[in-house]
Amino acid sequence: MKKEYSCKVISRCMLNADTAYIEIKCPEIANEANPGQFVNISCSRFLKRPFGIASVNKAEGTFKIGVKVVGKGTTEIAAFEENQEISVLGPLGNGFTIEEGKKYILVAGGTGVFPINFAHEVLTSKAIVHTVVEGFRCKEQIVLNDPSYILTTDNGDAGIHGNCCNGLDTIPEEKLKDSVVMCVGPLPMMKAVGNWAASHGLKCFVSMEQRMACGIGICLVCICKIKAEKEGQEFEHKRCCKDGPVFPYEEVIW
Amino acid sequence: MSSSISVNVGKVELKSPLILASGTCNFGHELSEYYDLSILGGLSSKGLTIKPRVGNEGVRVAETAAGMLNSVGLQNPGVDYFIENDLDYMNSLGCGRIINVAGHSFDDYVAMIEKLDPHKDKIDALEINLSCPNVKAGCMSIGSDPEQIKLIVSALRERTDLPLWIKLTPNVTDIKTMALAAQEGGADAVVLINTLLGMAVDIKTRRPILRNNTGGYSGPAVKPVAIRMVSECYQVLDIPIIGCGGIMNYEDVIEFMLAGASAVEIGTASLIHPACPVDITRDLENWCREQGEDLKSLTGTLKLW
Repeated sequence: MKKEYSCKVISRCMLNADTAYIEIKCPEIANEANPGQFVNISCSRFLKRPFGIASVNKAEGTFKIGVKVVGKGTTEIAAFEENQEISVLGPLGNGFTIEEGKKYILVAGGTGVFPINFAHEVLTSKAIVHTVVEGFRCKEQIVLNDPSYILTTDNGDAGIHGNCCNGLDTIPEEKLKDSVVMCVGPLPMMKAVGNWAASHGLKCFVSMEQRMACGIGICLVCICKIKAEKEGQEFEHKRCCKDGPVFPYEEVIW
Repeated sequence: MSSSISVNVGKVELKSPLILASGTCNFGHELSEYYDLSILGGLSSKGLTIKPRVGNEGVRVAETAAGMLNSVGLQNPGVDYFIENDLDYMNSLGCGRIINVAGHSFDDYVAMIEKLDPHKDKIDALEINLSCPNVKAGCMSIGSDPEQIKLIVSALRERTDLPLWIKLTPNVTDIKTMALAAQEGGADAVVLINTLLGMAVDIKTRRPILRNNTGGYSGPAVKPVAIRMVSECYQVLDIPIIGCGGIMNYEDVIEFMLAGASAVEIGTASLIHPACPVDITRDLENWCREQGEDLKSLTGTLKLW
């Protein structure tokens, strides 16, 4: 049976002025989690808050989340203290499918770096060839960057001047061939990256985001427009939390 | 000393007063990953309509103080799909099987009942949704007019022997009039209350948060309204009441039952703590044991000042 876990905050640090990186102890979640999945975390606000799993340490039974402060809930969660007991549901949703023998291109925009970081960890541990592209607005927003990544900033004050697609354009053709693209970021960015992938003949998976309540598929509020399978129907509303958050780019109605 | 938590809603016997409220449990698949739903008194299906509905566009939820607004708009696969794909599953859960029926018109409700009645061996009660605030026609607009409530309920009464539970909207001046109209139409019970119509505004964009502008307000914030309506209706009705609105724990259940509810529905709480009925069931059993009384004996025993 799945359950709501009572977990302890192991550590917290600030990655930049408004982004916290929090390590939480929960061996069950650490064991089960796949890249692209998320957890739903309680605070004193009414609803839980969803966060993509950013890193897992199975040996220690811990996982990490990145928390960018955007409102009252995230302000509180970003200030969680060491040893604080918190209530967590997870891992939730369908993550990215990782297959041995394939190559991957990981593309992250903004807070999308957190789930992409976890995908990078898993691919590295399985020795699967992959390239990481990270895009941020400016230098101050850069988090979880590695010199091996392709970095872009909108204002050009670090890395390549431009967006993720400008970063993707720098990948040599032989590296691109037969790669699968995984993308997490703001909607316009995912749309552009999906479009880029399609124009290069590459399959692309995106992680959709919508205001969420339950996180487990019972309330039907976090919908995403997906092309309908049934004939005569243009689209259906699928649940980001339960049917996604990861969907094939070409199935999403943008 | 007897200390059972089983209850009756008219002729329907439930092992527990806890029913999962329509629209907060789908058809049970997802929550059964968290606990054995056979502990429940019942599960009320996602509101079904005659044809599938994709529901409302865009942002469908807004968090508010002690509650939330939703504007799902009755997204559901349609009654035919439900009968073919989900009814047997609901039947296998081992709890009361309540089918929530929504419509846009008199004809819709009648057609729905005619489709569901042949499956009566798999249904314990039909919950007639005359109260969804998130669709443009039918539902709440019907449930705000006592003449129409009576008309629809009596038409359904002629077409089925299944218990008819009428889920009413609190967005009316006098809930008693609506409940009495349902009773006169031949209802077996009323469910009080559906969500309160509300709105939340994003001060940055200066627009409503919900793409539908308005939505249904639920959660602990609405509980006092629901309790008041249950109490008012209990004074005038002969048929049982199922209480619903902001129940988060066993004390809330007892409060509703004292005010006049024979059973209760848990909705928004499942969105926060999926397995909360497990705790509430345990706490109710302990409470009844301590008090040395059957839970059902509480109904309507509130002494008003």
